[in-house]
Amino acid sequence: MDKKQSDHDVNLKGTLVSVFFVGIVIVAMWVAVYLMYLAR
Amino acid sequence: MIAQPERKIALWHLGVAYTAFLIGTLMGVLQVFIRNDALQLPAWLDYYQILTAHGVLLALIYTTFFIFAFFITGMSKSLGSFGPKVRLFSWIGLWVTLLGTVMATVMIVAGEASVLYTFYAPLKANGFYYVGLALVIVGTWISSFALVGHYMVWRRNNKGQLSPLFAFMTVTTIILWIIACLGVVATVLFQYIPWAFGWTDTINVELSRSLFWYFGHPLVYFWLLPAYIAWYTIVPKLLGVKVFSDSLARLAFVLFILFSIPVGFHHQLTEPGISNFWKFLQVVLTFMVIVPSLMTAFSMFATFEISGRQKGGTGLFGWFKKLPWRDVRFTSIFIAMAFFIPGGAGGIINASFQLNEVVHNTLWIVGHFHITVGTPVAMTFMGLTFWLIPYLTGRRFTKRMQRLGFVQIITWSIGMLLMSTAQHVLGLMGAPRRTAYSGYNDHPSAMEWFDGIISNHVTMAIGGTILFLSAMILMYIVIMTMFVSPKAETPEQMVEFPLAESDMSHTPKWLENWWIWIGIAAALIIIAYAIPLTHMIQHAPPGSKGFITW
Repeated sequence: MDKKQSDHDVNLKGTLVSVFFVGIVIVAMWVAVYLMYLAR
Repeated sequence: MIAQPERKIALWHLGVAYTAFLIGTLMGVLQVFIRNDALQLPAWLDYYQILTAHGVLLALIYTTFFIFAFFITGMSKSLGSFGPKVRLFSWIGLWVTLLGTVMATVMIVAGEASVLYTFYAPLKANGFYYVGLALVIVGTWISSFALVGHYMVWRRNNKGQLSPLFAFMTVTTIILWIIACLGVVATVLFQYIPWAFGWTDTINVELSRSLFWYFGHPLVYFWLLPAYIAWYTIVPKLLGVKVFSDSLARLAFVLFILFSIPVGFHHQLTEPGISNFWKFLQVVLTFMVIVPSLMTAFSMFATFEISGRQKGGTGLFGWFKKLPWRDVRFTSIFIAMAFFIPGGAGGIINASFQLNEVVHNTLWIVGHFHITVGTPVAMTFMGLTFWLIPYLTGRRFTKRMQRLGFVQIITWSIGMLLMSTAQHVLGLMGAPRRTAYSGYNDHPSAMEWFDGIISNHVTMAIGGTILFLSAMILMYIVIMTMFVSPKAETPEQMVEFPLAESDMSHTPKWLENWWIWIGIAAALIIIAYAIPLTHMIQHAPPGSKGFITW
């Protein structure tokens, strides 16, 4: 029970934002090349 | 400290790895100067020879020997000293791999094997080049079986227990490697060697490429997983915390056994001999292999945040400032991870079927390679080298060496940013890969590629030169920590093997039931490959004779 409690107490908001950042990089690069593909 | 015999085996591996690194990086800097017209090679040496040597010595040899040095040290550290048989077979593995390396290198230097590291047929090298490569694989198998034997002894003596995380990850990587090598062994033994020695006249090109890429993509993960092992098991120790989640780490690794192999067709999306259905299926499976990498990214950020908050970091990103930036062992690996964000994103583009047409035969791929294996993997290995060699030699990692370590990783980052960005941009404009510089008879379209500030041969050459200087600084650190630095005399001076604790109390036992994972992997491989490979054999076009274009 203590273990579960301490797991929930961990603040991982920065991690959430960071993984969103990684996601945005992936999507942005992908869309950029996709637009290039459409334009050619 | 681990036992002396294992230290000796690991140090020999590192010695060979860094000899290959020295020659391989020299071949790299020669290329950028040749492409810039700043250097004319002597008549006995050509561009494709040095391109082949660069790829083989860095991508295949440096990585392989380094990985086994890391595995041998880590397995001895986490499971205890090797028995006499494990030691013997580790030595035999080393010598067989080295013999194969020397044989392949001699063929390249002799101008008999300018076929690049992918050795695509119908380019035909001297048969002994392929024999050398086969020996490299056989040698790694011997070393692999030695380590698996050591692991099995541990399992027998610790029935019902999960193995330590480092050992689990090492065995995962070895399973992946052995399954992957089956493809390249098949093509080298049954296609290339008989053809190169003239026992058969022609070769089935599409089949040879498909078997190569059955091996070639998991080869990427054979490089990457040891880096991930460091990220999962070493980094938390440097940060003063436990592994974020033992179950997540193990699950991520077994997913690589499943999804890193039945995906080779995404390297062959432009090839006509494979139907779209099979290409598409393997593209889908390729997207599955992104999942464990994203799990790794999440796990790393969480490790950083937990550590930073424990040290007093507040707010959304306060933890970031609390990370141990003055510790070169950490900073090197952090930069390696940062490079993997655009590197991984580029990989998703490459594998995205139609998008592959934009980048396929261009310098983009070369740039991608340099910000995946050339930095995330290589710089993680550099970060490990800083402590691994002094740990094995019992020498000190002095303040001066630590400062030089920072200079080395920063110069490598700057050089790589310049060179790989130039390669990515040039590739998007259409500049080809795998070829020496060509101006296409000064055609205006081709000339435009090289007019930009970034997309310029000079930028690439500056980047390449900085990289070479960085490589030489690393060589200096390697030589100093191997032979010259003062011996550690007090416990504070001893360099440790920073292996993090991992809480296994909630980890399900089935994660270490290898037959489940090998079974599912085999099923996926059969689904993805059985029909298209059968088709390639049954409906093979006339084979090709060999071409020696150099």
